[in-house]
Amino acid sequence: MIRATARKICMLGDFGVGKTSLVARYVHGTFSEKYLTTVGVKVDTCQVARPDGTDCKLVVWDMAGRNGVDALAASYLRGASGLLMVADGTRAATLRTALDLLMQARAVVPDAAAVLMLNKLDLIEHWEIEPLTVAELRNSLPVFETSALSGDGVVRAFAALTAKLPA
Amino acid sequence: MSALPPPVLAHLQHTVLARLHPTVFSYAADGRFLGCSGEPAAFGLDADPSGSADLLRDLFIGMDEEAACELPFIVLPGGRSTHLHRLRDGEGFHILLLDAGDEHARQQAQQQIANEETLAGQEKSKAIGLLKRIRSDLESERSELEEANALKSALISTLSHEFRTPLTSVFGYLHLLERVIGRDPNAVQALRAIQRNATYLFTLAENLLEYGRGDSGTALLHPDEIDLLALARDVEAMIRPLADDKRLELVFDIRVREEDRPVYDELRVRQILVNLLSNAARYTVAGRIGVGLAFADGQLAIEVADTGPGIPPEYRERIFEPFNRGGPGGRKGAGLGLSIVRRLVQQMGGQITLDSAPGQGSRFRVELPQQVRTGGADLVADAPDRTELWTRARSAIVVDDDPDVAHLLESLLLDLGFKVEVHPNAADGEAAAARERPDLLLVDVHLSGSSGNALVFRLRAQGYRGAIVTVSANASREAQDAALKAGASAFLTKPIELSRFILTIQRALQRGG
Repeated sequence: MIRATARKICMLGDFGVGKTSLVARYVHGTFSEKYLTTVGVKVDTCQVARPDGTDCKLVVWDMAGRNGVDALAASYLRGASGLLMVADGTRAATLRTALDLLMQARAVVPDAAAVLMLNKLDLIEHWEIEPLTVAELRNSLPVFETSALSGDGVVRAFAALTAKLPA
Repeated sequence: MSALPPPVLAHLQHTVLARLHPTVFSYAADGRFLGCSGEPAAFGLDADPSGSADLLRDLFIGMDEEAACELPFIVLPGGRSTHLHRLRDGEGFHILLLDAGDEHARQQAQQQIANEETLAGQEKSKAIGLLKRIRSDLESERSELEEANALKSALISTLSHEFRTPLTSVFGYLHLLERVIGRDPNAVQALRAIQRNATYLFTLAENLLEYGRGDSGTALLHPDEIDLLALARDVEAMIRPLADDKRLELVFDIRVREEDRPVYDELRVRQILVNLLSNAARYTVAGRIGVGLAFADGQLAIEVADTGPGIPPEYRERIFEPFNRGGPGGRKGAGLGLSIVRRLVQQMGGQITLDSAPGQGSRFRVELPQQVRTGGADLVADAPDRTELWTRARSAIVVDDDPDVAHLLESLLLDLGFKVEVHPNAADGEAAAARERPDLLLVDVHLSGSSGNALVFRLRAQGYRGAIVTVSANASREAQDAALKAGASAFLTKPIELSRFILTIQRALQRGG
């Protein structure tokens, strides 16, 4: 039996919501305006401090944007301890996709912790998602308004997920 | 199947190795890294493969350790896309890396186009939605404005009625008093003062109503033959006290031949004159006001010149705007006069010019082409013989709930030789008209408890084909249109003036239903 030395977290969401940009912001502190679609999975790793003071290695699976969990996606999801669901605040439909994906992912990894990132906070004047909707969502799972461009909320969202990961 | 020939096999082996850069990381059963063979650098992995071994092993966390498994298109931190295979080998296992860079690039290019098209489509839908919303907002705003405009028209209508009715009464009684008052100089002076102020009030009220009508061209013009000399005398009588108070010289120069009977809307010409002269009297401190009135070659020229402060060039356009009081020192009056003058001049197809300089007074010149009489004279000319009309049309019904007006209409019709029936309400009037089928029906629009237009509509719907004249204090185009649309042959506005009354009756009898 291989001892798990790292925690696998998967980022899921519709295409173009900014998953890759959020990882780039969190792991490398960078941002690119250019949209480059992800094929398959991009993996990255980083060391994070847990609330109990211990360090934890995260293996972040940035999965290609999709609106359903097919067999391939299910194979990518296996072993994930955490799910970072991502939606684009300027496209209300991506929130529905993120919630659909979360339900489907739970069928594969029922015990995975999850948080929701509502990205593109820097474009708040174009948001289609209503504040009341966000308030409602917060009753079900942690929700963070984020901006990969400015970095707003990104660290907090990752930290919140890390805190929920099993020891 | 026989084995491939050795050269083919060798070629394939070379090709696959060259394209896929197979690299293997080997592990013991407990996950300990044992060693690496192949080209880890081709995948962007550390030169010391042991540094990447943990990452590769961790990618298979949670997966079935007993079975072989594959993870396609994994982009490693070094940036190279890889197909990863975990293969059992006794108690331990290997992780095989095969380069997927070329395939990844192809798929990414296709996916990129598809995604960008979808995003562009979504943006387009959003933009269309936004435009639709804007259009809907604009429509709703337009509807609100129309509502507000309708409200304004209704208000003006009401004001029109409210102003005209009592003023008509005031003027009527003033004429009566004039005849009976005798020669008591104090009484005559008082009467003149009342006349002047009533006229001024009437002009002010007309100005406000004119302004309220807006630029929609709904002002009704009633051109008819006018007596310019009499008009000038009236206006002079109104303005002279103002001029006398300031010791201003007021000089009229009227050039109209006795035989000329120019055709204009007297009320509007009077409004123009009164407004121009009131302004001159207000703003001129000393000196004179000269008024020129000349009618020649079908054109009326009105000129009002004063020795007032004059108007600086930068104010010359602004003074024609509503609620503007003529420049730096202007603080008198409602600021509507000149805007009304310009509008009236434009409505009559004329033009107004201003010649002025600071300290040198102002000279307004209005030129008005002669108007065409509305219906009246032409109608009379083309109409059958007047007597024949009256002879043929002998019966009339008046429906009006105001006994004074009903009595007035009855008297006028009796004078014209009609046999007249009067009914104070719509129901009786309608029943009588349906029964008697009179030649002429006069209906007030505002009947208590009913609309005169509704009565007209119902009668027409019952096949009544006689002449119907709708009478109203509301002179707006909308009121006229509504009456005609309901089936009236003609529309008559209060206050009722005899010659217009006769012409309207004639026109209605000609047209019938």
